[in-house]
Amino acid sequence: MTTVTDVLEVPARRVGVLRRPKATTGFWSWFTTVDHKKIAIMYATTALAFFVIGGVEALLLRVQLYGANGTLLTASQYNELFTMHGTTMVFLMGMPLAVAFGNYLIPLMIGARDVAFPRLNAFGYWGFLMGGIFLYSSFLLGGSAPNGGWFGYTPLTSTGLDRGFLPGHGPDFWVVGLVMLGIASTTGAINFIVTIINMRAPGMTLMRMPVFVWMMFVVAFLTLFAMPIVTAALIMVYFDRNFATNFFVAANGGEPLLYQHLFWLFGHPEVYILILPGMGIVSEILPVFSRKPLFGYAVVVFSGIAIGFMGWGVWVHHMFATGLGPVAISAFALSTMIIAVPTGVKIFNWLATTWRGALRLTTPMLFALGFIAMFTLGGLSGVLHSIVPADTQQTDTYFVVAHFHYVLFGGLVFGLFGGFYYWFPKLYARKLDERLGKLNFWTIMIGFNLTFFPMHFVGLLGMPRRTYRYDSGLGWEGMNQIETIGSFVIAFSVLIFFVNVFYSKTRGEAVGPDPWDGRTLEWTIPSPPPEYNFEEIPEVESIDDFWHRKYTEDEQGRLVRLPSGGAVAVEERTGDGHGDGHGEGHGEGHGIHMPSPSYFPLVVAIGLPIMGYAAVFQMWWLAAVGALPVLYGSYAWAIEPQTEPET
Amino acid sequence: MADTESTETSTEERSEGGAVQALERAEHELEAKVEHELEEHLPPGVTTPAPGLLPGEVRPHPNPAQYVLIAVVLCVVTAFEVGLYYLEGDIPDALIIALLLGSAVVKFFLVASWYMHLRTDQAIFRRFFIIGLVAAVALYLIVLLTLHVFE
Amino acid sequence: MTEVEAEVAVTPPHDIQHTAHAPHDPHATATGVTNTKLAIWMFLASDCLFFGAFISAYLLYRGRPGGEGPTAAEIYNIPFTSVTSFILLMSSLTMVLALAAIMRGDYRRLRIWLLATALFGSVFIGGQVFEFTEFYREGLTLSSNLSGSTFFVLTGFHGAHVTIGIIWLLSLWGLATQGKLSVGDSEKVEIAGLYWHFVDVVWIVIFTMVYLIPQ
Repeated sequence: MTTVTDVLEVPARRVGVLRRPKATTGFWSWFTTVDHKKIAIMYATTALAFFVIGGVEALLLRVQLYGANGTLLTASQYNELFTMHGTTMVFLMGMPLAVAFGNYLIPLMIGARDVAFPRLNAFGYWGFLMGGIFLYSSFLLGGSAPNGGWFGYTPLTSTGLDRGFLPGHGPDFWVVGLVMLGIASTTGAINFIVTIINMRAPGMTLMRMPVFVWMMFVVAFLTLFAMPIVTAALIMVYFDRNFATNFFVAANGGEPLLYQHLFWLFGHPEVYILILPGMGIVSEILPVFSRKPLFGYAVVVFSGIAIGFMGWGVWVHHMFATGLGPVAISAFALSTMIIAVPTGVKIFNWLATTWRGALRLTTPMLFALGFIAMFTLGGLSGVLHSIVPADTQQTDTYFVVAHFHYVLFGGLVFGLFGGFYYWFPKLYARKLDERLGKLNFWTIMIGFNLTFFPMHFVGLLGMPRRTYRYDSGLGWEGMNQIETIGSFVIAFSVLIFFVNVFYSKTRGEAVGPDPWDGRTLEWTIPSPPPEYNFEEIPEVESIDDFWHRKYTEDEQGRLVRLPSGGAVAVEERTGDGHGDGHGEGHGEGHGIHMPSPSYFPLVVAIGLPIMGYAAVFQMWWLAAVGALPVLYGSYAWAIEPQTEPET
Repeated sequence: MADTESTETSTEERSEGGAVQALERAEHELEAKVEHELEEHLPPGVTTPAPGLLPGEVRPHPNPAQYVLIAVVLCVVTAFEVGLYYLEGDIPDALIIALLLGSAVVKFFLVASWYMHLRTDQAIFRRFFIIGLVAAVALYLIVLLTLHVFE
Repeated sequence: MTEVEAEVAVTPPHDIQHTAHAPHDPHATATGVTNTKLAIWMFLASDCLFFGAFISAYLLYRGRPGGEGPTAAEIYNIPFTSVTSFILLMSSLTMVLALAAIMRGDYRRLRIWLLATALFGSVFIGGQVFEFTEFYREGLTLSSNLSGSTFFVLTGFHGAHVTIGIIWLLSLWGLATQGKLSVGDSEKVEIAGLYWHFVDVVWIVIFTMVYLIPQ
């Protein structure tokens, strides 16, 4: 798309019925925006909404399991809820929230004014939103929500409706919805990769990039290569269900295990897609609040890359109980042990970063430290699964549930919360309230451990996952009660977080552009950043460039603030800190020409769920209807220049 | 222009073996020219295309004659492949499979390196594409191995 | 003086630092390669894994008993498919010729080669439609047996890729006939071409692995 600007002599003022939108502020601007910061906010808002929905689903599950023989939910309702809880938390909360952080921060951290493909970026968001709405519309339209688990094993999901094991169109919605989300996240991944490779400021070499950017780079590659695999698997399931193909029909020679292979070939990299952004965020927070550089920057980066590569070599450990034979199992048991090494390396690096640092235990720092502790526990229970006999025992028990919640909740969610507290001042020029924040941290820490720690024990006592009720007298009731209580403590804590956000957005402590004494480029610009981010593209000379502009060391190795070093920050503090993100005609922003808003990402995305419904209900005329906005949007997108020439 | 024209006529006249030699020679000539001239004149990071180059490219594409030559080679290899199909039963299957796979690899790399310009374009594209390609081959091979396809 | 030397001689040296002042100048990226080309290569690398899954499924299920009716291998019409494969292969040639044409400003040949490429692609798709119909008549369907399921889904998705490519090429041809493609747009033809060649190399693999290799 980049050459479009140069090429079209006569700008397409009007494409079809839609005139190019102009507004960059106001309600309607959100529908046409291509500003990566606004798109990030939309990602975060939507993903947090899904976080709440997925959380409510989890609470319902927990209430059902509070005592023996729970009666709140029927078996099929329970199936729908745990399937949607998992699907929501992975695809509609975890991934998009990480993308939200990436969207906001990658350009700021590498010194760019925008991402490489602003409209593709917007399309990624709209595709995600449409995919999420499509999935949830199954509750109303499908006769049943997806109900085959977030992994959707065949032949349970792949057997067609007429002969089906599962009632309703749930699996069809799940399959089509995930393909849609896959398209959206693949475009997002391509955008991130190209942005990081091509949009770096002068001097921002790869090995000077903040660790968060590095981790998002690895994540984008994992997404890029994992999504097509699961897309192919989902397509096979769709054809098996709807066109009676035989991919997973054992009676005709099909191999249900093929699905498990394809799913986990995607699924294990997906685990790292979820956790690496959390690792990146923590690697940003710890140095700032320890007032020390990250210990072993290069090692942290390389172990992240190593995880990215090795993450492709361990998927069979999800299938140890399927009888693949001793060779395959031994090989993957070994690789599973080995992948713990780069993860362990990172943990030691983080600990060494805090060692003898001037620690400031602010809320972001608490979440980062909580991340290390909880993630380590999750990693330890994870590496146990490389011991195959033990794994065979633990497969499909609550022990596994405990393990991955320690990694994904204790890891990813703690990291993301830390990130919210850390970067909130950049968005709103106000800090999130520290007292509420600390309450938020401690309640979530307590609630989280109450909920998930006992799951290790009930799991080892033999309680299976995905069971909608259990008999009394098995010794599980007490711990299940603790878990349910814990889950409500988490809910309370999340409520505190939202209260904090709404309170602090308008009444929090007002701060300048660099409230934490930060080290990376995003703290050099005003809060909130203007639409063009950097009035002048920075020249980068080292890792933690901003820090080195502010501080130097004396002979004893003590930090000394450079007299002129803070000049940048101070100057900007006095400047207009409340830029409304409007580039042209706004003070210093003269002459910086930003990409113009566009309707067409949204138009194309609207076609996706229409075609999705067509696929689910096999109404082919509807597919043609859905193809119209896709075609119209794509052509108009290609014809309109990315940036309207100045008039 | 003299060089390009001579290549053009030679391709039409020569047999396949000669054609491959001509191809190699043309390739060397091009590379020598390009590397000698461009590496000095173009500082890294500059992507404004010279006439005959696309943005970001530093070495010129093959000329139409070379494109045609590649097509001829592709045709010959394809004919060879189809011929092998009709020899099934006459020579061992293992040999046929090896030759067929070899031919497919040759065709794949001819198209990728000449028509998709991987051999002249910047290395970054080659690297990323090879990552995807190797990932696909390796991962699916392991899947097929664990499912005992080759036993 | 060859063309190449002439080109080199007129290439002016540029100042790298203009990156800092024009972030949306398409010629100014940190690596020197354009965003668009990088993106299409990323997509193609990703698509390798998409097709790989379907090819693996075909290989996994090859020769397995079960279901009813003939297997694909029993009813292949190799001479026919060889011809359509050949045509698709030649469409890659016309595609690069179109690129060469636009790069030297020869818009007449650009239009001819673009149209020829789309036409060859359409012939290939027509052949595929014919082949599918024949197979259905002979009792090989999506659901008859594993061979049918894997064959139709794999080649069908490849056909869908080709169809998208044809639409893309025809759109470029439409722009070209209106005189809206000039030398400066060469990269657009290159991008479409990369996609087109990729679809072609996937077919090279499918033709060998699925059609020719003995069962």
